[in-house]
Amino acid sequence: MKKLRQFTRFMKGQIHWYLLSLFLIFILQYFRTLVPLFTQHVIDVIFGNGESSLPDFIANLLVGDTITQALILVAVFSILFTLVRMGLIFARNVINAMFTEGVAFRLRNKLYDHLQNLSTDYHSHAETGDLIQRVTTDVETYKTFIGEQLVEVVRMVSLLAFAIYQMAVMDIPMMLVSTAIAPVVFFVSFLYFNKVKNVFTEVEESEGTMTTTVQESMTGVRVVKAFNNEIYEVNKFENHSVDFRDKSYKLITLMAYFWAGTDVLIFGQYMATAVYGIVRVTEGTLATGEFIAFLALLGLIVWPIRQLGRIIADSGKTSVSLDRMEEILEQISEYDNEPDTHIDIKGDIVFKNVSFKFSDDTKHLLKDISFTVKPGETVALIGRTGSGKSTLLKLLLRLYEIDQGEILVEGRPIQSIHKKSLRSQMGMVLQEPFLYSRSVFDNIRIMNRAIEPAKVEAAASIASVHQDIKQFEKGYDTLVGERGVTLSGGQKQRLAIARMLLEDKPVLMFDDSLSAVDTETDRKIREALDTTWKNATVFIITHRITTAMEADKIIVLDQGQIIQQGTHDELLGQEGLYQRLWAIQTDRQEETFKEGL
Amino acid sequence: MNHFEEEDFTASKFDVSVWRQLLAFLKPLRKELFLALSIASLLAVSDVGYPLLNRYGIDTIIASGDFTGLPLFIGIYVGYMIGIGLLVFGFIHLAGKVQTHLAYFIREKAFLKLHQLPYSYYDQTPVGWIMARMTSDSRKLSDILAWGLIDLTWGLLMMVGLSIAMLVVNVKLGLIVLTALPLLVFLSFYFRIKILKAYRAIRKQNSKITGSYNEMLGGAKTTKTLVLEEQNFQDFEKLTSSMRRHSVRVAIFSGLYLPSIIFVSSLSTALVFYFGGLDVASGVITIGTLYVFIAYVGQFFDPVMNLANILARFQEAQASAERIISLIDAPIEIEDTDEVKAVYGTLYQPLKENWESLKGQITFEDVTFKYQNGETVLSHFNLDVKKGTSVALVGQTGAGKSTIVNLVCRFYEATSGRILIDGKDIKDRSVSWLHSNLGYVLQDPHLFSGTILENIRYGRLNATDEECMHAATLVDADHFIKTFDKGYLSEVGEGGSLLSVGQKQLISFARALLADPKILILDEATSSVDMETEQSIQKAIDVVMKDRTTFIIAHRLSTITKANRILVLENGKIIEDGTHQILINQNGHYQTLFKNQFKRRQSEALMS
Repeated sequence: MKKLRQFTRFMKGQIHWYLLSLFLIFILQYFRTLVPLFTQHVIDVIFGNGESSLPDFIANLLVGDTITQALILVAVFSILFTLVRMGLIFARNVINAMFTEGVAFRLRNKLYDHLQNLSTDYHSHAETGDLIQRVTTDVETYKTFIGEQLVEVVRMVSLLAFAIYQMAVMDIPMMLVSTAIAPVVFFVSFLYFNKVKNVFTEVEESEGTMTTTVQESMTGVRVVKAFNNEIYEVNKFENHSVDFRDKSYKLITLMAYFWAGTDVLIFGQYMATAVYGIVRVTEGTLATGEFIAFLALLGLIVWPIRQLGRIIADSGKTSVSLDRMEEILEQISEYDNEPDTHIDIKGDIVFKNVSFKFSDDTKHLLKDISFTVKPGETVALIGRTGSGKSTLLKLLLRLYEIDQGEILVEGRPIQSIHKKSLRSQMGMVLQEPFLYSRSVFDNIRIMNRAIEPAKVEAAASIASVHQDIKQFEKGYDTLVGERGVTLSGGQKQRLAIARMLLEDKPVLMFDDSLSAVDTETDRKIREALDTTWKNATVFIITHRITTAMEADKIIVLDQGQIIQQGTHDELLGQEGLYQRLWAIQTDRQEETFKEGL
Repeated sequence: MNHFEEEDFTASKFDVSVWRQLLAFLKPLRKELFLALSIASLLAVSDVGYPLLNRYGIDTIIASGDFTGLPLFIGIYVGYMIGIGLLVFGFIHLAGKVQTHLAYFIREKAFLKLHQLPYSYYDQTPVGWIMARMTSDSRKLSDILAWGLIDLTWGLLMMVGLSIAMLVVNVKLGLIVLTALPLLVFLSFYFRIKILKAYRAIRKQNSKITGSYNEMLGGAKTTKTLVLEEQNFQDFEKLTSSMRRHSVRVAIFSGLYLPSIIFVSSLSTALVFYFGGLDVASGVITIGTLYVFIAYVGQFFDPVMNLANILARFQEAQASAERIISLIDAPIEIEDTDEVKAVYGTLYQPLKENWESLKGQITFEDVTFKYQNGETVLSHFNLDVKKGTSVALVGQTGAGKSTIVNLVCRFYEATSGRILIDGKDIKDRSVSWLHSNLGYVLQDPHLFSGTILENIRYGRLNATDEECMHAATLVDADHFIKTFDKGYLSEVGEGGSLLSVGQKQLISFARALLADPKILILDEATSSVDMETEQSIQKAIDVVMKDRTTFIIAHRLSTITKANRILVLENGKIIEDGTHQILINQNGHYQTLFKNQFKRRQSEALMS
């Protein structure tokens, strides 16, 4: 029952179309079994004096005075009949396509929307490859199942039922003989495909190993060449390649046994029908036309029955796919149960005894953090790698939720404000910003697509990335990402800064993103801060004393705790990390070597 | 996203030369292929004969009114049944052999070629591209060449056989049925090719959707901080709804295919009913013959639809064929001359007995190197390195450090000028000979999946376990290896992913030391490692450098103070040359660099 609910949950509101499609399939199979009966009618009614096996409402239409007239009636009527069939088949195809594509459409959107709204924590732990597999292959598997495989099962079962019915109407013993071997073919197919699944897996695994070998040999080609190990690589590859070849060959051989074996069975069935039929016709207890109709009806059911075995054996796959998609959708979106409070942020921020650790970790990343920021202040955060600087800013954006203590924004606990309200007013430039695969231009104005080009270029100039962009062959139209240009880490950061420069945000955060640019750019950006964002409250994570010293407040973190807090002058007077950094960095010269070495 | 995107088709015309080249791969399999084709022909004949078998039953036995013909009928049937079984088995089995072995030949040929190609090939070719050739393209090709050729034979013979059989059985009815053929052929090809094209467009849409998912997952954090969720979703919805529109349109179009074929079939059947019926009535043909014709009309459609399908597939496979041929035909560029090959052997058949030992003196004589795009990296460069000395290369990105090293390794070939090894032109001896005397420690060391022990042994394949472990001990890698539960038998993961960068470096040092090369290249890592590992690495560098001609591409100047020679490079020129002691006392670039770096490193040490 759970399976059925799972199976239908993505069809909500549309399921009647699906049922209609399946119903049409059902009806069409009845029509299909009528086709051989036309032949029967011609042979037994027109040339013999038997009865038509066609249903009365059709047979009654085919009564002609002369043979010629009767033949014309059959010919014309069979064409008209086909036209009706054609129309129904076509209608069914369209309904089915609209339905399955609609389901896939909604499913894809739902997965995208849902995944996008899952927590930062989920995303940092997720394996992209696996998720991609689920949202593409699993969706496809499900789509194939509802659009083709299940339809096929319904088609086969109805066809079987109607064929048996038509046979039974003509002659029951003949029907029994004609369907004696069909169940055997079905079971053989089912068992075979069930068993061969393991061989399939083996082949897939073998191919996987071979692929990995090639991949490693290619990514490590310099090592291979440098150690002159080409022959070794070739031998290694050869072994896997032979293994893959032999396993695939074995699989095909198994298939050969199966198809040949079932072919023999099927012809055995034909023989049984033919011999028994001939005996009966010769005895005079069966009409010739009926016999020929039996052969044709048999042909309708006996070949595809192998496919039925395969589909049923494979249906487990769909169940697995459904489970895997369900697993994603069961995760709770981070925007569920959010308070509907949107406020105007000015920059009044208070941390009160805040502690934070990841749920699967025992160590606190931040412990007992308390400080106050007034609107318009600039706060520098300094500390060793892993001291918790970025985490602190992420808590303010509610990318992670605090476990202890309180963060107040404009005097309200942070949890009482909608996440999007916080995030849209606090601009953060990440240390490793992500660029979307579109043009450089569109990346800069990603938050507001209406911004005019001049402003985009101006922002890029301030962020010192304009020159870099101009050097690309296509300038601002350069595509970013794997299909386009690969930007260096520094370029990405500067682009992300330019992106932020176009925005008017009351709170800004730079997660170590200023220290990646050279001191000159750093200075320019901070100057822009003073003009573009003069009222903004700014958080800067930095390693650079010259950057930190100008801040209104400097917070020094160590192992998740605040060890020093104050203005530049205050901290310079205290013995500690800040003072030592100052001593080392003040007499350092330009960092010309930084990029080059 | 690259590998998700289906590449565009280069040509839609049938390119004979490409297929001729591929047919050459079938040569070793020609016996199997020939047999398979013969069987396919026999199958076609059997398929044509089947309705005639039943006609015999209907016309002869039933008409005679007694069962004397029955044993013969059963006998033929049993024979037919067994025959079909054997033919089907033989046909699948042989086609399977051709398919799997052909794919294997293509892969092998490509792989052998790949390792002959110069390093520069890999600078320009993404691994993903190569992988697609080795997997999906070789699969597609072998598939179409094996099954496609056989299906083609079967289909053609079946059509010819049916046509002949019909005309022989009854000329008039035969001609009537055959009039449908042109219509049938037209419909099949028209639909097949259109559908194929439409599916190609859908695949493109699909890969865009995959790319979009990928982007959403990769950029989740940025999206959250920029609050772009809704905008992204709208963009995505545009993609999926376009996909939906396209797919429905294709489905509607291809939904017409089968009904129209069925319609043509019913037209033919109706004609057979009428004309055949009149002939039965006038006694010209028997009921059995009427049955044969009705059966033949049904059988006629399979091969035609099949042929259209195969030709469409051949057309699609052509792109795969072209790409594979382009790989197999790629110029080797850095190849030994025939004279060199005669003495030193080839890459895969080396004549090691003729290989002299390498001492390690390296001379650059007026060497110029330009990239293919014309950018000059070195011009008229001269350098003489005595055997056993260590040379550190210092300078900015683009100064020419890597180029010098790549030229020594003969990963690149000098545009002009000569490079001498032990006084003899590098081109006068084989690349393999040079590489067998080379050791390389990369910036981001590449390890192969397997155990630590296997990775060390990669330096010298016939080394014993003890030798491997000894090498590890010498470079101080032993240390961390022993902390693992499985020690040397620990798996390193794909690309060494289970180890830290520092650990990977130590293993690559052990690997290089085991190779005991005459020339060693050290491309020192830029990535930071912890103090302890750094000390181990420093020690390892000192150990492996000893008594070998060594080139170090230095990033941390502190690691090269012991080098015999330090070359400071700028724009492909040596601007300072000397030992650490000499250079640090000159008021030059090296001194400035060293001082700056010292300070930065101190401040880093404080912060990390």
